[in-house]
Amino acid sequence: MGGTGWLFLFAVLMAAGLLFTMVFFIIMFSDLESDYINPIDLCNKLNQFVLPENIAHAFLSLLFLISGQWVAFLLNAPLLAYNINKIRGGNHMYDATEIFRTLPNHKKEGFFKLGFYLLSFFYYLYRMILALIQESE
Amino acid sequence: MASPAQQLPPGWAAEWDQTHQRYLFIETATARTQWEAPVANGAPVPAQSPSVSPPPTAPQHGKRRQYAAGQTQAYYGAADTLSAPTYGAAAPQPQPQAPAQLFTPGLAADGQFQQQQQQIQGQPPYYGNVAPPAEPEYINAPGFGQQPAMNALADQFGQMNVAQRGLRLYTTNLLTSPPEPRELHRPPPDIILPPNASVSPSPYANADPSYQRLTLNTIPTSNSLLTKSKIPLALVITPYRSVKEGDDPVPLVTDTVIARCRRCRTYINPYVQFIDGGNRWRCCMCSMSNEVPQLFDWDSVRNQPADRWARAELNHAVVEFVAPTEYMIRAPQPAVYIFLIDVSHAAIQSGMVATATRTILENLDRIPNEENRAKVAIIAFDVSLYFFSLPPGSSESSMLVVSDIDDVFLPKPTDLLVNLTESRPALEALLGRLGDMFQDNHTIGSALGPALQAGYKMMSNIGGKITVLSASLPTHGAGALKNREDPKILGTSKESGLLQAASPFYKTFAIECSRAQISVDMLLFSSGYQDVATLACLPHYTAGQTLYYPAFNAARSEDAIKFAHEFGEMLAMPIMLEAVMRVRASKNLRMSSFHGNFFVRSTDLLAMPSVPQDLSYAIEVTIEDTITAPFVVFQTAVLHTTCYGERRIRVVTTALPTTSNLSDVFASADQVAIATLLANKAVERTLTHKLEDARDALFNKLVEILQAYKASMTAAGAGANAQLAVSENLKMLPVLVLGLLKNVGIRQSAQIPPDLRAYAQALLTSLPSQLLIPYIHPTFYSLHNMAPECGTVGEHGVIMPSPLPPTSERLERHGLFLIEDGQTIFLWVGRDAVPQLIMDVFGLPSYEVLRGGKTTLPVLDNAFSQRVNAVIQKTREMRRGVYWPHLYVVKEDGEPPLRLWALSCLIQDRGDVSPSYQQFISQLRDKVNGSSY
Repeated sequence: MGGTGWLFLFAVLMAAGLLFTMVFFIIMFSDLESDYINPIDLCNKLNQFVLPENIAHAFLSLLFLISGQWVAFLLNAPLLAYNINKIRGGNHMYDATEIFRTLPNHKKEGFFKLGFYLLSFFYYLYRMILALIQESE
Repeated sequence: MASPAQQLPPGWAAEWDQTHQRYLFIETATARTQWEAPVANGAPVPAQSPSVSPPPTAPQHGKRRQYAAGQTQAYYGAADTLSAPTYGAAAPQPQPQAPAQLFTPGLAADGQFQQQQQQIQGQPPYYGNVAPPAEPEYINAPGFGQQPAMNALADQFGQMNVAQRGLRLYTTNLLTSPPEPRELHRPPPDIILPPNASVSPSPYANADPSYQRLTLNTIPTSNSLLTKSKIPLALVITPYRSVKEGDDPVPLVTDTVIARCRRCRTYINPYVQFIDGGNRWRCCMCSMSNEVPQLFDWDSVRNQPADRWARAELNHAVVEFVAPTEYMIRAPQPAVYIFLIDVSHAAIQSGMVATATRTILENLDRIPNEENRAKVAIIAFDVSLYFFSLPPGSSESSMLVVSDIDDVFLPKPTDLLVNLTESRPALEALLGRLGDMFQDNHTIGSALGPALQAGYKMMSNIGGKITVLSASLPTHGAGALKNREDPKILGTSKESGLLQAASPFYKTFAIECSRAQISVDMLLFSSGYQDVATLACLPHYTAGQTLYYPAFNAARSEDAIKFAHEFGEMLAMPIMLEAVMRVRASKNLRMSSFHGNFFVRSTDLLAMPSVPQDLSYAIEVTIEDTITAPFVVFQTAVLHTTCYGERRIRVVTTALPTTSNLSDVFASADQVAIATLLANKAVERTLTHKLEDARDALFNKLVEILQAYKASMTAAGAGANAQLAVSENLKMLPVLVLGLLKNVGIRQSAQIPPDLRAYAQALLTSLPSQLLIPYIHPTFYSLHNMAPECGTVGEHGVIMPSPLPPTSERLERHGLFLIEDGQTIFLWVGRDAVPQLIMDVFGLPSYEVLRGGKTTLPVLDNAFSQRVNAVIQKTREMRRGVYWPHLYVVKEDGEPPLRLWALSCLIQDRGDVSPSYQQFISQLRDKVNGSSY
């Protein structure tokens, strides 16, 4: 198995991981809505995952950039820019005092990212298989 | 309330007689009445089991029949005698049977009947659910001295209204009728509930607007109707309003029998229905049928059956229950006060430390401490922390210095947080010499963050109140802040950044405090930049209060008096501890967003470590689905521990009718509540967006309301119209919005320091309506020509002059005027003021000698001086809240900054960039007409 195959295999695993993180986020948000968790615990829990998630996504995008996978990189670029912008603005962490006011936005963002990771998961899978087929020919 | 009804011998009932202002005692069996309280003769009746429904002949149940009959009589008799022709038509015919079915039927003696009837007619109808009020109503009364300009359609709508409800919609033209300040003191539109909505004929069955009011006093049945009117639906709550002399105290239910709905947890209130012979009650919110608790009809004090209809929770909308142990997570904790006193150079120099310690010393007796449980600690700080060990019984105290502020620890496990009574001598000695101890302290800088952490460590297992007195920007340790004031970005779109918290410490620490039931009050004194915006976060999320004394200098006696008075009031205030607040409402109504000082702990639970008196909270309400009930109920419940160590629940209930008619919605809108909500929303918007956006949003909201009114309520419909129509009860809304746009917290200006702006915003979000309305619409009196009785003591205290519209057109060159906004009082002296006036009021020979600025007015030996002083005194005392406004003398040709400040209170004038009232109204008209083509 060559470089491209390995790269996309790794990407598939990463996308699956990110997918699970987003599912976790969304479950936590709905827990908050139905009062199973208080906002302080929720924010403490979720804030541990915010930066790792962003870094994982940025790392993946970087891999695509160096390996010259332009299409895959361009797909990821908008989300990367969005994350960087949020971190620069200093509002990437969840704020327990504001969480109820901003909850609808957080949920919307969560669902959007979930969809994005799902699509990219299948795209990476497709690219991986494509790479494997090309190698074996 | 200690109603005499509870101390009566069996067979007697007490009725409050409104005309004679005393209780009338009725022997229910014989219908004999007397004024003197009856004495129990002989042995009390043998105790009966209250749980089973007793036979209807039992003497104590004569009372039930009485009430039922009295109610029916009230509706009919009253409608006849007060000759309200429309109301009679509105009263549905089959109603009289309803109460008879609900209550034990039986015949009441004729004499009793009449008595009841007289009773009820004698009471001045308060909320209009008993009879159409005889007093001038909000809506029904015509405008002041002028016939309201009505057009045909509105009239027609109005007629329809009268036939249905009794609320009438009057349309006024904003272009021709100038705003009248007296209108702001009118009560909100009447709440006209359907007959038999309440089980009690009491005038207190609906909450007083000072406790809880809504922006609409008639709830639209569907969300589309609400959106059509464009008026926001929200609750404005002041659950812990101070009760001054002359106010009715909040009745207390002491027997810990708390009836609540099994499903929605609503507390029993006057709007429930008793069914099944009185054994069950139907919840007014979710229609669940619940059992009446066994001891509900039982007087546990005297061990005998009691009269259910005399229970406070069925007669009063604002009640307090003593909560049993199920409502406690832990035993009630004592009230704990920790004072963090800044002793850096700036604080000592301004005299803050001396004034503060003296105030604490003088008010030690006023700190609520009836059970001798209150605890106190004092921590001083500059760049290190100074703890004081106050051993009980001794008058010696010792100081412990901790200069390691990176990892704060308590130098001693005991004697730092001490019982107020036991360690009183040591505390008094310490407070007496604290100022002198740091007399020569030249340290500059403040370790506020570490001091807060130390206070937190000291009280984290008890909870309580931290009072911070700080005169400098925090510079050391956790929570250090930078001076980020930059005159260049004032007035630009970046300005809102200065109003947001600069450091996350004050938010995360606030959350920790909220968890440990600690509330923080901030008293700030700096002469330079202190970052009020960031520091105010702590009180904001821990339900405290912020007070700001810019450039405080105790050498000026006015500053010292103001601070000592306000601080003293804060210390003496009976606070509620460990409180949680929840608002419940009828089906299909949901609380959607919350504004005020608290931490939202779950979707609808507000956590408040302590509830100071007279803070207001605004809660927006959404209508989720069509409401079918004829009336809806809002209930606010605050579970708290009193500072006397008792767990209690305060319940405030408001019932409102519903409507599917848009004109009812407009006719019942409460402009004061709307302005309060808009103030909260505008401040929130300045933090998330920009100041400019907040102003635009305010203006656009007003335009939307006017457009909606024009499109649906006037003959012009969507076309252009020379008029600008709005209903009579919303007439003051434009001027209130204009006042809000010109308020220091929102106004467009490049000259307002961010600290002042942040403080104004803190006030806008926490003041109750009674204080907020003058804050955005200052009161303006003319003193030199006030009527001779003004300033003298009348029937209701000092008689005030009648307020003028706040515009400089009314200023006269020879006059003396008073402008006040509840926070400051300006005494404006015209340049041609006659020497006699100056002599009478200031005791000075002429206008030239008079100096402008902060002052205390002398009380001179002439009638006019005494009257002016009485007016000022009354202005300071007439509102609830701790505030004690400063008095400034402003000369017409005096120093420009002061003059401009005073003039900025005259909100109907033109500012540098802000429009005058006339311009504002024509802008509104263009906008309303322009976009509807």
